[in-house]
Amino acid sequence: MSPAARSQPSPVGPVIDFLRALRTGLDGGDGLPASLGGAVLALPRDARESLDAVARRLGGRYPEDDWGFDEEFAEAALPLLEFMYDRWWRVQSDGVERVPAHGRALLVANHAGILPWDGTMMGVALMREHPLPRTPRFLVLNWAFELPYVSVAMRKLGGVPASPFNAMRLLEQDELVAVFPEGVKGAGKSFRDRYRVQRFGRGGFVEIALRTGAPIVPVAVVGSEEIHPKIGESRLLARLTGAPYFPVTPTFPLLGPLGIVPLPSRWRIEFGEPLDLSSFGPEAAADRAAVLEISDMVHAIIQRKVYENLVKRGRTFV
Amino acid sequence: MPGRRILITGSGSYLGSALARALELDESVERVFGLDTRAPVGELRSTELIEADIRDPGLAGVIGPTGVDTIVHNQIVRRPGPGMSARRAHDINVIGSLQLLAACEQVSTLRTIVIRGSAGIYGAEPAAPQFFTEEMTQLYPLRTRFQRDVAEIENLFGTFARRHPAVTCTMLRYQHSIGPSVRTELTQYLALPVVPTYFGFDPRIQVIHEADALDALRAAVHRPVRGSVNVAATGTIGLTRMIRLAGRPTLPIPAPLFANATAVGRRAGLLDFSPDFQRLLRYGRGVDTARMREGVGFTPRFSTAGAVEDYVAGREAGQAVAA
Repeated sequence: MSPAARSQPSPVGPVIDFLRALRTGLDGGDGLPASLGGAVLALPRDARESLDAVARRLGGRYPEDDWGFDEEFAEAALPLLEFMYDRWWRVQSDGVERVPAHGRALLVANHAGILPWDGTMMGVALMREHPLPRTPRFLVLNWAFELPYVSVAMRKLGGVPASPFNAMRLLEQDELVAVFPEGVKGAGKSFRDRYRVQRFGRGGFVEIALRTGAPIVPVAVVGSEEIHPKIGESRLLARLTGAPYFPVTPTFPLLGPLGIVPLPSRWRIEFGEPLDLSSFGPEAAADRAAVLEISDMVHAIIQRKVYENLVKRGRTFV
Repeated sequence: MPGRRILITGSGSYLGSALARALELDESVERVFGLDTRAPVGELRSTELIEADIRDPGLAGVIGPTGVDTIVHNQIVRRPGPGMSARRAHDINVIGSLQLLAACEQVSTLRTIVIRGSAGIYGAEPAAPQFFTEEMTQLYPLRTRFQRDVAEIENLFGTFARRHPAVTCTMLRYQHSIGPSVRTELTQYLALPVVPTYFGFDPRIQVIHEADALDALRAAVHRPVRGSVNVAATGTIGLTRMIRLAGRPTLPIPAPLFANATAVGRRAGLLDFSPDFQRLLRYGRGVDTARMREGVGFTPRFSTAGAVEDYVAGREAGQAVAA
């Protein structure tokens, strides 16, 4: 992310100040127009700049890249994501500096929970703790792009539908790409199996890494397993919503939309040593045995790291 | 070396007429023929107009004597206009292509066929590759009538190209055109006073500027390549951003109600969205343009965002004149 873009005011924070000033005016007995005027004048300079930023966005003058990543949107969402990172889940990250600072690389992580919070938190860790902050693109389960608003948020934050074509193209453009090879099996694992990393599909991520010469960085995430503890699932609701499975948790769908609020478990994220596969050469992607062997190796590394971090984390919630 | 003889089908469309006008000025071109039942848009000077229906079985008798070396097939109906049934659009698209190819068999001088096809063949899918390359037509089922039409046309020309190795067949897969003059489903959509969108969806849209759409056809006439080529501007734009640039308010409609709501609008004569366009508004589509740049050697002047801005600027200028 460029420094110029960083200095631009985000349109979120000052809105609260504005509303507070407006309420004070109204409580004081002024009419609505007078209160509005007073509230605008009372805004500090950066807040007025934020209003400009809002007007600019409403005029359609904001950048999006070819993939639909919206840097301003990602910046505006950062305070919320940082709150989740610092306060809600109290994430501790290890080895962020092992992620290559430039060039292509494939982050391979375990996955839990139906919404890709784990991918988002990996992004926050990289933004805040990496010596050269960079935004990863993450491959998102396909059906998220069928959901209203989820699809937009995913795209604007750097999410891309999980298709090997997309992963290849991103890596060829020297991006940092995060994948969750467990896929639906990871998102849908039952609470009892929560720390057991599921099978890694058919090893497609290894083929992609071999073809593009990207190093694989194994990542273990602990804590995302408890945010939506799945106690059952509903076939009927899954069929009605078109979701690959429909989780039933202690709070969802019992509390309705409130049930989507994730539980505040404590998290650890560990980035492992990058595995350089370039010595195999791109031809190795056609070698089934080699691909599956590398896939199993990465699986074993991540599983070991998950158990290690589970011990380091200690208690789940407090 | 004698100049080229070029026949344009669908010469009564905006782009067909514009291409005829451009080829009239081209020194390497000796004669230009325009085949259509409609009159051309604007004036044409030396183009020889042939008034014939492309579905006519007697087409061979009309095209044969022209002795053309190049045919630009520009008569593919993207969306049945007012007063045109879906059936008739299908006939023009498929039977028309079939008759044209039957006529092509009779033209021994033929060396090049350029078809203005559609990127609609890829469809619009939620989890699609964000940039379709030319091989990716088989990833998803063909969901709409238009998609099936385009696939059939591609098949017909593909078979013809295999049987006649001396003829180079270029299938250009166009994204939606946009610009101050052209009228497409997309420009009509953006001109609505209130623009309906899918609630909670903001797909990536890719377009091609009308001037680039014309130049791509000219480039393919001069440097045809075998097989399919995507034609689109650089980059994509979020639908919301596009509508905001066009300065229109949006009306978000929840997905399950969208088809019904727009059907009401159609009965009132306000709007007419094809099933393809509805899917595009929900899921969007982007294509890869490496073959267009490197194979055909054509680079568009406008990016997607630039094309939208030029359309908006042109529209505002037009309104100022009208007022």
